Amino acid sequence: MGRPGFMLDVDERTPPLLMHEGEGFRLERLPLGSRVIYPPESLPGIVDLEGAIHHALLHPHGSDPLPQLLRRGMRLTIVFDDLSLPLPQMRTPDVRQRVIEQVLELAAAAGVDDVELIAANSLHRRMTPAELKRTVGERVFRAFHPDHLRNHDAEDPDDLAHLGTTPHGEDVEINRRAAESDLIVYVNITLTAMNGGSKSVAVGLASYASLRHHHNVHTLRHSRSFNDPPHSAMHQSYDRMADVIGGQVPVFTIETTLNNEPFPTALRFLTRREWEWNLTDQASYLAVKRSNDLATGKLRRRIWQATEAPYGVTGVHAGAPSQVHPHTLAAVHRQQLTEVQGQADVAIFGLPYICPYNVNSIMNPILVMSLGLGYFFNLYRGKPIVREGGVAIFYHPMPHEFHPVHHPSYIDFYDLLAETTDPVMLETKYEKQFATDPWYTHLYRTSYAYHGVHPFYMWYWGAHAMQHLADVIFVGGDRSTTARLGFRAASSLADALELARDTVGANPEISYLHAPPMVLADVR
Amino acid sequence: MSADELAGSHVLLTGATGFLGQATLERLLSSYPDTHVSVLIRPRGERTATDRLSALLRKNVFRPLSERLGAEKLTRLVRERVTVIEGDLGSVTLPADLDVVIHGASTVSFDPPVDEAFRTNVSGVAALYQALTGSPHIVHISTAYVAGTRKGVVAEVALDHGVDWRLELEMALAARLDVERDSRRPEVLRRALAQAGEQHAKAGPQSTATDAERLRTEWVTRRLVDYGRTRARSLGWPDVYTFTKALGERVAETLWAQPGRPLSVVRPAIVESALRHPYPGWIDGFKMADPLIISFGRGLLREFPGLPDSVLDVIPVDLVINAILATAARPPATGPAYLHVSSGATNPLTFQNMYVLCRAYFDNHPIPDGDRGHIAPPTWRFPGSQQVELRLRAGERAAALAERALLALPPSKRSQDWLTSLGRQQQELVQLREYADLYGVYARAEVIYDDSRLRELHAALPPQRALEHGFDPTVIDWRAYLQDVHCPSITATVRRAGQRRGSSSKVRSPSPRSLPERTDVAAVFDLEGTIVNSNVVESYLWARLATMPRSGWLRELADLARCAPQYLSAERHDRGELLRAFLRRYAGARVDELRALVTDVLGDALLHRVMPEATRQIRRHRAAGHRTVLITGAVDLHVEPLSVLFDEVVASRMHAKDGVLTGFLETPPLVDEARAAWLRHYAQANGLHLDRSYAYADSYSDRPLLEAVGHPQVVNPDSQLFRHARRRRWVVHRWGAHTGGLLEVLLDVTGADCRAAPR
Repeated sequence: MGRPGFMLDVDERTPPLLMHEGEGFRLERLPLGSRVIYPPESLPGIVDLEGAIHHALLHPHGSDPLPQLLRRGMRLTIVFDDLSLPLPQMRTPDVRQRVIEQVLELAAAAGVDDVELIAANSLHRRMTPAELKRTVGERVFRAFHPDHLRNHDAEDPDDLAHLGTTPHGEDVEINRRAAESDLIVYVNITLTAMNGGSKSVAVGLASYASLRHHHNVHTLRHSRSFNDPPHSAMHQSYDRMADVIGGQVPVFTIETTLNNEPFPTALRFLTRREWEWNLTDQASYLAVKRSNDLATGKLRRRIWQATEAPYGVTGVHAGAPSQVHPHTLAAVHRQQLTEVQGQADVAIFGLPYICPYNVNSIMNPILVMSLGLGYFFNLYRGKPIVREGGVAIFYHPMPHEFHPVHHPSYIDFYDLLAETTDPVMLETKYEKQFATDPWYTHLYRTSYAYHGVHPFYMWYWGAHAMQHLADVIFVGGDRSTTARLGFRAASSLADALELARDTVGANPEISYLHAPPMVLADVR
Repeated sequence: MSADELAGSHVLLTGATGFLGQATLERLLSSYPDTHVSVLIRPRGERTATDRLSALLRKNVFRPLSERLGAEKLTRLVRERVTVIEGDLGSVTLPADLDVVIHGASTVSFDPPVDEAFRTNVSGVAALYQALTGSPHIVHISTAYVAGTRKGVVAEVALDHGVDWRLELEMALAARLDVERDSRRPEVLRRALAQAGEQHAKAGPQSTATDAERLRTEWVTRRLVDYGRTRARSLGWPDVYTFTKALGERVAETLWAQPGRPLSVVRPAIVESALRHPYPGWIDGFKMADPLIISFGRGLLREFPGLPDSVLDVIPVDLVINAILATAARPPATGPAYLHVSSGATNPLTFQNMYVLCRAYFDNHPIPDGDRGHIAPPTWRFPGSQQVELRLRAGERAAALAERALLALPPSKRSQDWLTSLGRQQQELVQLREYADLYGVYARAEVIYDDSRLRELHAALPPQRALEHGFDPTVIDWRAYLQDVHCPSITATVRRAGQRRGSSSKVRSPSPRSLPERTDVAAVFDLEGTIVNSNVVESYLWARLATMPRSGWLRELADLARCAPQYLSAERHDRGELLRAFLRRYAGARVDELRALVTDVLGDALLHRVMPEATRQIRRHRAAGHRTVLITGAVDLHVEPLSVLFDEVVASRMHAKDGVLTGFLETPPLVDEARAAWLRHYAQANGLHLDRSYAYADSYSDRPLLEAVGHPQVVNPDSQLFRHARRRRWVVHRWGAHTGGLLEVLLDVTGADCRAAPR
């Protein structure tokens, strides 16, 4: 059992602390009295993972064992989380591969012929054949690709089924093949508390018509936070939709949770507490930092994107989604929850090189905003780590770079920001236009582009934080891109604090969320 | 007072629309109430002589009078007192009751083609004087510079030369035929074609031919100018203007000056803005010294081939008009009278002094330079004309070399910035060369025009009249005149322009203005370099590399490199050649395999290389209802992934037999002029308005396509097209900020080995 997470008070003896900043990192000395929120130490992974999976499939929560659900002549659809999970991509074999292989074995044993595998990519870009192969493994790929292993296409009118509306009038429209199956087996990885549960099928296989009911500014401003499902309007909507889906097609879900080992051994110092660095850690910090700084931008990106996480699996739970998910959440909390006393005036976050939408791609300014003000700001339960009217300071260079194939609508969305950065304005004036633009739709369906509406969702992701914070400052941020997004850039922490002084005074209380590895602040 | 010395006279005025003419007319109308004026005006195009006179009344010269009388009263006054005679010199019937003829019609240019100069300044004069009846007093307006290139004092007498004006006139008029004939000789045409080809071969044979013909007509003009200038110099005049003006005087003497037919020849020097009348500083357009002064103020003339001690014989226009009218009232009793209206003899302004005064003026009132503050006037050191000439020549040579070098460089933002600044330097050099050739003679003059007759005439004026109607050059205070009157007047327009624009040759950047919504226009896009940052070679490469094991890559690349010189030379010659040569490489490929490859791999590669700004612009045109058209020499299979963006795709189609490509094209590739021709045909067939349409392209070979539409747009242009766009002030786009690089595509697209063999 690892040590629990804790809060460090910075004093004279505290060494400079590690801070991620895009495809780089630095050691930063924080002002005395600052508080640092550390996650619990990484838990050990399950040694006999095959056995654990097998056990979960045969002893599910709130469901008959899987073999009893399988029968000859049935339509079986296996759906799995897409490229956005986990981050970084895990070292192969991916846990999804292991689960899928066992499910397929059971299906074969039961004589099920009609099996289809679908990536639950929702409005994300399609996974390339190489990425699919990496996720499901060589054997499955060879057997099923391309006709029976494919991406969900949220714009294929022939492959969508409208299952009805929720009591709140929300349309439920998902993948037709899945909806018309005799059983959906969903293979999940829950990296943060927002994943899994009702979200899996209701979001992963949905269409724009369905997603717009919960992916909007209003819902996101009332999801406090979206990493705390009981207090998330978004998750309540997912639950209502899942009820509609569950009423028409049985879903058997297998949820897995991971430990806190996102970096390979050479980068182990990134996950260790700084005052415990030994000589090897210090040497590798120097070596990695030095060579990383020397590398060209493109090379650096390739190296970081090639990083594979040696994640260990901490839990495998199968069965009915609503019965499984509480176990999954408990496992996530065990690994990530850290108790925090009170809110600070200033929160500091070091943003890493990756977010769910730039795997094998470029983290453009919109994604930086969504990672910072969406994902990192919402890593809390109860209250945000920074008080209302406080200031958030992020570390990221925020270069003006976009991936031409993956994020075409982002490039155009960025230009809209010159007109307004107000999420409501953008939503009312432009969302529909982007969502229905035939070119974006064409690229989403035939190339590897995120859906036209996706940048809007990214912007809504930060809507709660934008409302809550009085000021947002990016240390090291490109001045013109930062300004375009409506934020401010500072060249150093001292300058950022100087900028924040008008809002929070000369001696603010400061909290630094030390992530990654993942931490969920339980603010009391 | 009997101020009106010409009271009761009928005066005929020629050249009334010119600088001196309009001032004379104004003076007659404002100060000679009892004189009737006839004006001889040529109709021009749609405008009749009366129209032109009405337009004249709205000009600045009549402003004070119009303000005094009111516009309506001025019109009535003109109707009562002015008779308009419409027609050309010699082809009209002139009134028989004329008392005075003021002949001011003349060419305005110093360096016109020889036949034009003679037609106006010599045969025009002859025609007029032959058409006159009766015995009016002719005031023949000449110029002081008819004296030619000589030194010392020039007296107010008839010119001393033995040139036969009839022969010279005949030769000059015949010169055009000679030159036109010469210009059609094969050697000359070949040279024009070669020169045009160097520039325009890429754009196609029609463009080359058009340019060759332009070069030929330019050559004709240049040659006729040379005929005139050289003949003038061979007889002792600096240019054809002064030469023909001198012959004009001789015409007047031979055809008119006889007992009972009085002739006065008035020879003004350099006429510049008014000292007092109609208002201080009045001038119409730029006169001789003005381009010099303005170029100096704009910092363009760093040095000038003039002698510091030579006299720049400037005389304000109102003094000249006063002298003309005083002369008109006093016909000489015997023989022709000659009169220099100049300042050099009694109140000389040296070149050096003029420089000092102008320099002080510009120091105190520098010319604004758009958003870059003000321009600093240069310091002249008068190194001597030879030094200036040497520097000028060296500068011209260096600029020509630099331009060749820059055009040969691969196009980049930086090389094109250099090209822009080089263009500015070249413009300065051209201007300096022009001024040095034209005005150098005047700025080196070591001649003084005797003005004793002028002073006599002035002294004969009644004292009360001398104040208002006098012409004593000694009243001019050069400092006050140049700094308070003349320079402010001539720099006014330049100042206004300078405040508006930035630097002189800015390239137009695209404005984010929304496109007008209409369905009868097209937006035409070139593909390679305009929408995608790749080319036919690259797409071939992806196709090859994606289908072969990596061990074979090196051999394929080496083979491609071996053929590169052949392709490059084809490209330079004609883009169609390159396409034909290159597409042969596809011989033997199966159509269905290639199509599958495009869907699985190449489409992705193409989208990596797409410029997002281009797709956005295409969609904006679509949203505005415009018909979007893709014209490319690339193979249709390759552009498939982009076809949804267009209403019409015109691409090369490769010939296939039994599902296998033969390596030949089915139709000639659409390149250079073929594109423009196709577009015209397409527009006609579909009822599209090309003058309101848009075209986007990156290469000079697309010039005909761009010129076919009303809104040409240049995208990441090659240097030649950039230079052209800059001159024509076309919109220049810089696209591709987020386009994937070659290496990335290689790694991302073809590197993912399992994608190439999915089926």
